[in-house]
Amino acid sequence: MTCKASRAARLVSATLTLALVFVRAPGAAVAIGADDAAARFAAKELAELAVHPPTLTLAGAEDAQRFLVQATFTDGTTADVTTLVDVRTGDPSLLVVEGTRVIPRSDGATTLALAWRGRSVELPVTVAAAAATRPVSFRRDVMPVITKAGCNSGACHGSASGQDGFRMSLFGFDPDGDHFRITGQLASRRINLALPAESLLREKAIGAVPHTGGQRFAPGSALDQTLLAWLEATAPVDPPDIPRPVDLAIYPPRSVLEGAGSTQQLLVVARYSDGSDRDVTDLCAFFSSADSTAKPDSAGRVTAGQRGEAFVLARFATFTVGTPVIVLPVGLDYQRTALPETSFVDPLVHAKLDRLRILPSPGCDDATFLRRAWLDVVGLAPPADEARRFLADPSAGKRDALIDQLLARKEFSELWVMKFAELLQMRTDDNNRVSYKATLLYFHWLEDQIARNVPFDQMVRELLSASGGTFKSPAANYYQVERDTLKVSENVAQVFLGMRIQCAQCHNHPFDRWTMDDYYGFAAFFSQVGRKQGEDPRETIIFDSRGGEVTHPVGGRVMAPKFLGGATPDVAGKDRRRVMAEWLTAADNPWFARNLVNLVWVHFFGVGIVDPVDDVRVSNPPSNPDLLDELARRFIASNYDFKALVRAIGTSQAYQRSTTENPTNALDERNFSRALPRRVRAEVLLDVISSVTETPNKFPGLPLGARAVQIADGNVSNYFLATFGRASRATVCSCEVKMEPNLSQALHLLNGDATSRRIADGQVVAKLLAQGLSAAQVVEELWLRCLARAPTAAELERVLTQLPTALDAAVLQTALEDVFWALLNAKEFAFNH
Amino acid sequence: MTDRPLPRRRDFLRVGLGGALGLALADRFRLALLAQVAAPAVAGGAAVAAAVAKAQSVIHLFLPGGMAQQESFDPKQNAPAEYRGPYRAIDTKVSGLRFSEHFRQLAQVADRLMVVRTMSHGEAAHERGTQNLFTGYRPSPALQYPSFGSVVSHELGPRGALPPYVCIPSQPVIDAGSGYLSSAYGPFSLGSDPVNPNFEVQDLAPPAGLDEARQARRRALLDAVDRDFKAASRADEISAADVFYQRAYALLSSPEAKAAFDLKAEPEALRNEYGHNAAGQRLLLARRLAEAGVRWVTLTYGGWDHHDNIAQGFVGQARELDQALAALIRDLEARGKFDSTLVLVTTEFGRTPKINATAGRDHWPRCFSILMAGGGVKKGGWYGTSNATWTEPEDVALSIEEFAATVYHLVGIDAGKELLAPGNRPIEIVKGGRVVPELLA
Repeated sequence: MTCKASRAARLVSATLTLALVFVRAPGAAVAIGADDAAARFAAKELAELAVHPPTLTLAGAEDAQRFLVQATFTDGTTADVTTLVDVRTGDPSLLVVEGTRVIPRSDGATTLALAWRGRSVELPVTVAAAAATRPVSFRRDVMPVITKAGCNSGACHGSASGQDGFRMSLFGFDPDGDHFRITGQLASRRINLALPAESLLREKAIGAVPHTGGQRFAPGSALDQTLLAWLEATAPVDPPDIPRPVDLAIYPPRSVLEGAGSTQQLLVVARYSDGSDRDVTDLCAFFSSADSTAKPDSAGRVTAGQRGEAFVLARFATFTVGTPVIVLPVGLDYQRTALPETSFVDPLVHAKLDRLRILPSPGCDDATFLRRAWLDVVGLAPPADEARRFLADPSAGKRDALIDQLLARKEFSELWVMKFAELLQMRTDDNNRVSYKATLLYFHWLEDQIARNVPFDQMVRELLSASGGTFKSPAANYYQVERDTLKVSENVAQVFLGMRIQCAQCHNHPFDRWTMDDYYGFAAFFSQVGRKQGEDPRETIIFDSRGGEVTHPVGGRVMAPKFLGGATPDVAGKDRRRVMAEWLTAADNPWFARNLVNLVWVHFFGVGIVDPVDDVRVSNPPSNPDLLDELARRFIASNYDFKALVRAIGTSQAYQRSTTENPTNALDERNFSRALPRRVRAEVLLDVISSVTETPNKFPGLPLGARAVQIADGNVSNYFLATFGRASRATVCSCEVKMEPNLSQALHLLNGDATSRRIADGQVVAKLLAQGLSAAQVVEELWLRCLARAPTAAELERVLTQLPTALDAAVLQTALEDVFWALLNAKEFAFNH
Repeated sequence: MTDRPLPRRRDFLRVGLGGALGLALADRFRLALLAQVAAPAVAGGAAVAAAVAKAQSVIHLFLPGGMAQQESFDPKQNAPAEYRGPYRAIDTKVSGLRFSEHFRQLAQVADRLMVVRTMSHGEAAHERGTQNLFTGYRPSPALQYPSFGSVVSHELGPRGALPPYVCIPSQPVIDAGSGYLSSAYGPFSLGSDPVNPNFEVQDLAPPAGLDEARQARRRALLDAVDRDFKAASRADEISAADVFYQRAYALLSSPEAKAAFDLKAEPEALRNEYGHNAAGQRLLLARRLAEAGVRWVTLTYGGWDHHDNIAQGFVGQARELDQALAALIRDLEARGKFDSTLVLVTTEFGRTPKINATAGRDHWPRCFSILMAGGGVKKGGWYGTSNATWTEPEDVALSIEEFAATVYHLVGIDAGKELLAPGNRPIEIVKGGRVVPELLA
């Protein structure tokens, strides 16, 4: 027997044209004529038909659940065809299909066969306890209603002080407290068990009485019915063993919608602690990272807008899940071309670009690559001689060879010492008694670790479980730089896992999975760090005090140490930090290696695969998860070999692209389809100016000629470094390093001592003239020094016409020094392009 | 100078997360560029807004730490002793409005001031309260909002050769920065404090020995070096850097603009009248900059976090503040600039009603005082009355959003306009505040 989805039934005899009109959102901008759409759709070849979720398990009379069917065409686009499929039920006595909803009738197991365009997929369905009803529950039923209606959002009663005298926990992090505030506070003013329908809680929500927040749902709506049922049941407290949601899944896993106005219904399924599952689509809050590209309505139907990629999220209970939606315009002229691939990263980058229909920019020229690689790998500009040699080298493998040659230099590790010194906040701090000596020893420890290429997991384990004096055991400074237990745990999460768990200090994280239980459970690993003064008053001894607990601010429970998103380990008799460090650096930690490869990646591309690098969260997913996974997998397999990772990146085509845009990638900044010009960071820019002008730097505590990247103490700075955005290391945030321009930077390079004085002090032009070089030769030499390339004929001519014709040597030197000054002020000089 | 608009990097819709690549958007961006290029240079694309703006410039004095309302602009002589605090209240020129005894000079110009006595918000931590007062938004974990100065910079652009937004002596807190807007709209920090006898703005003077001919040659050479690279690159990061070079050159080649930073040009008598201290000299320089065309000047003075012994900690700073602010009001009036210059004196919150165990007061955001004056603000009055113990407003409260909407109204910016935050997220300049008519002249 055949039964049809009721909405589909209306389309039994419909043409394909009508079907497409149907799937377009009502009221959405109609971007294309129906006939065009029909033609386009009909012309597509069906590649795959998929049903979600893979199985349905209906338990209990109320447990109706929906399915969805997604078609994928051979061109990679997808369509929601749920309402178009033919539905055949194997055993129709077990269930009823109403619309897209499957309603249990009697116990047993069967399958639904779902067919469209000659293809069919099967959906196994199990029905159990079909006759059983379950009592209405506050946690299971009412809390989702409150969250869905927005009552406990931050702008309403979820705010710290509530609204109009009524407070609820933000997004429901404290259901027991909410139950009390609803039923117990103000002597049952909020509910009326004698006349449940006249409870103030309900009357406010349905707008029956004046409510600052307006009507939240209509009387008689499903949300209202749930609330009323609970009130009629005398607003019971849940039994302690009430099943709790433990996981949330969103379907479909990805969508590629073609044309503004096309839609895709989402489906969200929660799994509970008793093993049951539940269709919670109607109870979720939906939001999108880019409404203009993919906008979900409150029922979870996504409507396509402008071309782009969006991440659509659903929140239920303490969980947030998301699914990517790519939107492409109709009739895009795109041909995938065979692209050169020189590293394992390339096929992964290209696969994503192909999904977005983006063609990457061509490779950059040798001079651009040379300068880019030097600046990125070792933080230096290539010397003029080196530039000459490289540019003249005809060998095919010279770029790979250059990367290897640079990786062998000590400046490579120095650059990473600087970056990690930022993350570890290496700076003197009188308040926390971090002396200059301790800072220096800490910095040297880091230098030694990185110079010896100590596998990174090993280094972090040593760091996070360090004990002893901050002089004798410098890694122990980690617990001296920051002494607040909560802050330490936040920093560990942000630096080593790339995630900000701060929100969960006060309430469950609204856009991520972290709850207050997770937050305080993780903080408990750091609650037993003991500190006492050493013999030298500048030294602190860090030790495992074996005492001290973290308590939950709601209810004051002592929190057992718990891994983020993981188990509660046995810490009895152990240093909690060591247990945590083992988990954090384990190969199967989902974040540790990914975070590290992303930190490296962003250095070479200016934008991370997850961006910003220290804001990993469900609602900020990686732009290319496959790429991130593979980088991490290989990084672990290589025993955390930094150099191998940098080699894979540096030799890739993705890294070697030009900055030239094409029409398909002009607005792409997240998928590595072209090189993004990056301002050279403060320390490197100062070091490059120092080396090309042959004027040594002098920083306090460092020998003459030390480079800015070698500064151990974040508090040692100068006007140049501060103005160009060097991190002060006051926080671990990646946002401390500023790369954006401002007026002070321009004034400093125009008038400040970084240019004119250094040119005068270094006497580079005088030295070159003394070698007998002509004016044109000096210009060329300066060009190679500053920009790693020779000037073009046009540039040379433009410059030479500005030079004096008189042969007075002093006048010529001054004029050539002005050329030098101009090069130091050139945009090409300040940018890695 | 040509006021080329800053490329709005974050206005771009990106292809990655939150991106979109529709042609429509690229077009919109270019149209915005063209509109700004086409606008008269001086108006900076804000000709329409400027026509309705009462305040041509804003001087925003922020008092970090949270100044006690009880010891400043909202004393209550009859409050219970454990609430009242150590100082007497004095009458001002406005009947019914009283100040603490350490604000005698301001009391004499109170008929020019609008005292908001019921500023109210819910943030009792310094950094959160500060963000409220600098951005008009409650803090969000997900988004750093731009400061008033940065929004003004973004919306109105520079006027003449001076930067639109200046911080004296430098940007005090991250909240005074550009937030989700490009940091190109951040403040210009002087890098030097006007109270310093050798005060000189960093890098404003050319290097010694560089005559005008060489300066001109350098500029020509820079153009020769830059031309092809700039032409080949459409990246907005590069154009933004270049825009600042243009602005730097405009500033350096304008004697009037440079003179605005020259505090020595002020008569010594006036410098004395403001007071030779950080409050006086910073405010005097702020007035010079505002008069010369800077749209928004932010400065800070003192530290007002008086948890302990408020009687002693408060008085010295209060007197300097009193002298400097009163001098500013008189000076603006004398120059005929009072009505076109908005003066704001804010602080992150007030202090607890009851004197605490260490003879100080703690944080209290529910009801505290700020000052507004000039620039289209009603003269000689107050807004709101605090209850008998300052715990709550007795009548009307002024919310952060209302304060922000009113300030933007005065400078001619539509507070309901949406700016684009990263991820193509439209964010209103002010979320839901109304312009408060009682504050307007």
